[in-house]
Amino acid sequence: MPPLNSPELLPGTLYLLVLRTLARGPLHGYAIARRIKEHSAETLQIEDGSLYPALNRMLVKGWLAAEWGISENNRKARFYRLTALGKKQLDTEAKEFDKLIQAIQLVMKTV
Amino acid sequence: MHSLKEFFRRLLYLGRRENLDSMLDQEVEFHIESRAEELQQQGLSRAQAMIQARREFGPQARMREESRGAWEIRWLEELLSDLRYAFRALRKSPGFALAAILSLALGIGANTTIFSLTMEFLFSVPSAGQPERLISIRLAGNSHSQMKIYRFVRDAHIFAGLAGSFEEHSVNWRNGEETAQLPVYWVTDNYFEVLGIPVAIGRPIQAGERNVAVVSFNFWQTRLSADPGAIGRTMILDGEPHTIVGILPRDHRTLLGFGFAPSLYVPVRNENAYVAFVARLPEGMTRQAAFGPLKRVAQDLDRVFPERDFRYQDDLQIDAVAGMERLKSLNMIPFTAFFAVLMVVVGLVLMIACANVASLLLARASSRRQELGIRLAIGAGRGRLVRQLLSESLLLAVLGTLSGLLLNFWLTSLISRIQLPLPLPFQLHIAPDWRLIAYSAALAFASALFCGLFPALKATRADLNSALKREDFQDNQRRWNMRNALVVAQLATSTLLLAAGLLFLQNLSRSTSMNPGFDVDHTLVATARLVPANYPTPEKTQAFVTSALDSLRAIPGVQAASIAHVVPLNGQQTNGIGIKIDGVRAVHVQYKNNNVGPDYFRVMGIPILAGREFSPSDRASAPHVAILNENFARQLFGNASPIGHRLDFPYGESLTIVGVARNSKYFTLGEVNAVALYVPFAQAPAGENLSFLIRAAEFPPGLVKDVTKTLGELDQTAAVDTKPMRDALVLALLPSRAGAAIFGSMGVLGLLLASVGLYGVLAYTISRRIREIGLRMALGAEPRAVLRMVFRDSFLLVASGLAIGLGIAIVVTRPLSMFLVPGLSPTDPVTYFSVIALLATVAIAATVGPALRALRVDPMVALRYE
Repeated sequence: MPPLNSPELLPGTLYLLVLRTLARGPLHGYAIARRIKEHSAETLQIEDGSLYPALNRMLVKGWLAAEWGISENNRKARFYRLTALGKKQLDTEAKEFDKLIQAIQLVMKTV
Repeated sequence: MHSLKEFFRRLLYLGRRENLDSMLDQEVEFHIESRAEELQQQGLSRAQAMIQARREFGPQARMREESRGAWEIRWLEELLSDLRYAFRALRKSPGFALAAILSLALGIGANTTIFSLTMEFLFSVPSAGQPERLISIRLAGNSHSQMKIYRFVRDAHIFAGLAGSFEEHSVNWRNGEETAQLPVYWVTDNYFEVLGIPVAIGRPIQAGERNVAVVSFNFWQTRLSADPGAIGRTMILDGEPHTIVGILPRDHRTLLGFGFAPSLYVPVRNENAYVAFVARLPEGMTRQAAFGPLKRVAQDLDRVFPERDFRYQDDLQIDAVAGMERLKSLNMIPFTAFFAVLMVVVGLVLMIACANVASLLLARASSRRQELGIRLAIGAGRGRLVRQLLSESLLLAVLGTLSGLLLNFWLTSLISRIQLPLPLPFQLHIAPDWRLIAYSAALAFASALFCGLFPALKATRADLNSALKREDFQDNQRRWNMRNALVVAQLATSTLLLAAGLLFLQNLSRSTSMNPGFDVDHTLVATARLVPANYPTPEKTQAFVTSALDSLRAIPGVQAASIAHVVPLNGQQTNGIGIKIDGVRAVHVQYKNNNVGPDYFRVMGIPILAGREFSPSDRASAPHVAILNENFARQLFGNASPIGHRLDFPYGESLTIVGVARNSKYFTLGEVNAVALYVPFAQAPAGENLSFLIRAAEFPPGLVKDVTKTLGELDQTAAVDTKPMRDALVLALLPSRAGAAIFGSMGVLGLLLASVGLYGVLAYTISRRIREIGLRMALGAEPRAVLRMVFRDSFLLVASGLAIGLGIAIVVTRPLSMFLVPGLSPTDPVTYFSVIALLATVAIAATVGPALRALRVDPMVALRYE
């Protein structure tokens, strides 16, 4: 798996963010990018373009499915949604992420 | 690639890549437009907003590349592009491609055909439901047991079903005015049900039925003229009417296998019949687990039907009905070894073919050195280039395999249609199956690697400087390069194959013209099978024989007639027993036994060297007499006369020797010093199968018919078949014929391929030496000198190949002597001189073309080459 483009992100976190963002319902690519930016209070610096390779990889893995629809500004847009496999992946990744953060915090506090 | 599903999603993408690319473009456009609109709302101008949105999006080219990368199957796409490239390269040199594909097609065609034949002959699976749950059972090591034993074991109900069959039997079919002998499979009434044998038309034999028959497809086609109303027709079999209830499918394979194909299945009616047991294992029971219950039943058998000579519970055998285990239990290992030898032979042929292709590829690689050098120089990885060259040989191998398979289909359908002139009914049904596909795929990959790997490695090891400067010929100045070694190996292998082939051809011609010790040109053989029910006592059979011989002698043109239990070279009866000579000297002897009528030696043209031949007075009630052959007489009595001496047999019989007959062949043409004993036909038990021998000075066209008619008129229910003795020797000649056909054709094929290889190497060497030759000729070399040079190259290659091949052949053909007629040694000088002469001729023919080309080199053109 090639490394993600955003050095600010921990490896693999972009998948988690996308999965989490889509957990509430289908969104098109632009909306996903905007949500991630908004919800992270603009702290996460993701180049918008790097989202698409990640989305494609997740399609290949079968975590996402995509279909064409009409966006809120009345344009043709490609909407992504979580598949059953994607939901499962979100669960495991979220748990692992929590564990990782806890472990890091523990180390930061004790050392 | 994590899962199969993922792989398929990627494969799907491969098919609609363009569609997905345009989707990605649309998505990007939508993304940037949406962002730009948002920025415009924040007060930016349209142009500024677009610039800003594009900047935020980042580099689009990289994004596209990575998105596409997510879907790609790297190796597959590279392979496809390599294959496309290889295809274009091959189309540019059709001569090379054709030569390579043809070589491989011949090699792989021969290989897969022998493979198909081996699989069908040795490993065919009987037509039955779930054949893997069927087992064959032997009690006390006996292949067949009596019907009462069968019923006892069946009624013990330890299996999901037990059936019995007797395979090698005949029945007389009274068809209008004629009676024909048909090969029949006697089966117990539940046989079809237990085995689950599919029937094409009608229904199988059912429990409780007696006078019914299921006929084979072939019988229905040829003897019942494919009559759609055949079901329900009545056939008179051994005097009893039987109703045809079913017709088997065309590809029906019997439980016995080996292509054995009787005309009919008929329920066993004879209470004294012996049947082989086949059982269906209950669900969940293994073959091992079946031993316990079977042993208990066998112990019961020993109490209920005690036998004097053996116990049923001893030597119980349970075997699968297909595969290696069956071959072992049937002692078919020598047969298996024969097929293994065949596989090795066709393997050698394929290796010769692969060497051809490798040699062609090497030549091509040398002429492509510049191209490859440039590609290496601009940074192509060696591994990548090797893969690309290998894909070319893979393409060749796949095309060669496909053409080889066409050859296979043609040859196997030919083999399947073949009607061997055997006394046993024989029919193979070779059809392509998954084993053939797997084997061909393996062959294709193996030959792609075998042909391509070395040339590819060599081609990419190029020294860049010299490659770019087109100094490609230097490497080939060395006399012993790889190509030459390949040709030598090819020539050596084909020498080996040729030696074996010629040996068998010679064997065939010798055995055909060989004198078997009896007259084959003035003798007719008439076999008659009597219906056993009509001849309940030996006296009745003997009476029939006597009147038959009288009638035969009365036919105009017949000089003498006799009868024999065994027609020489058509069967055998070997006895091994301890006897006493004149009641004192005990010896153990093993001999071929034959029961023959009066005049036998006269009919057969076998001289009686001492004493007398059997006469009509040697009847059952007269003192029992015997005639020995020379070998037996010498073994028992040395140089003394055996006439008048007595042989005492352990079961009380005593034979007085009345004559000595000249040695002859009894069972095979290859046998040496066979020992034989003859007793009068009237003094031995006679079975239902009688073989009359008739001597005539010549065979007018009507004689064969007259003989058949004469015997048929004596008993209409008897099935009579008459033919000249020479035609009856087919069985004896079959091994030499098959050996000659197979080894001969493989030898010729190998020679053909090797000579193509030789021609290729010489032509190539000369094309590489055009400049040198031109230079020599410009400096005044005579054409003769150039010719000498070319022929010297050719001679060195051929001589080395021959020397190595002959050396190996002398060692390897030694075990073949068991297949050869006596007097023909595996190191037969005629064979070896023929091989040398043949190869030399082919070598000269293969050299002439390139030599003429060398002569036609125009010095000016060659020098301008610089």
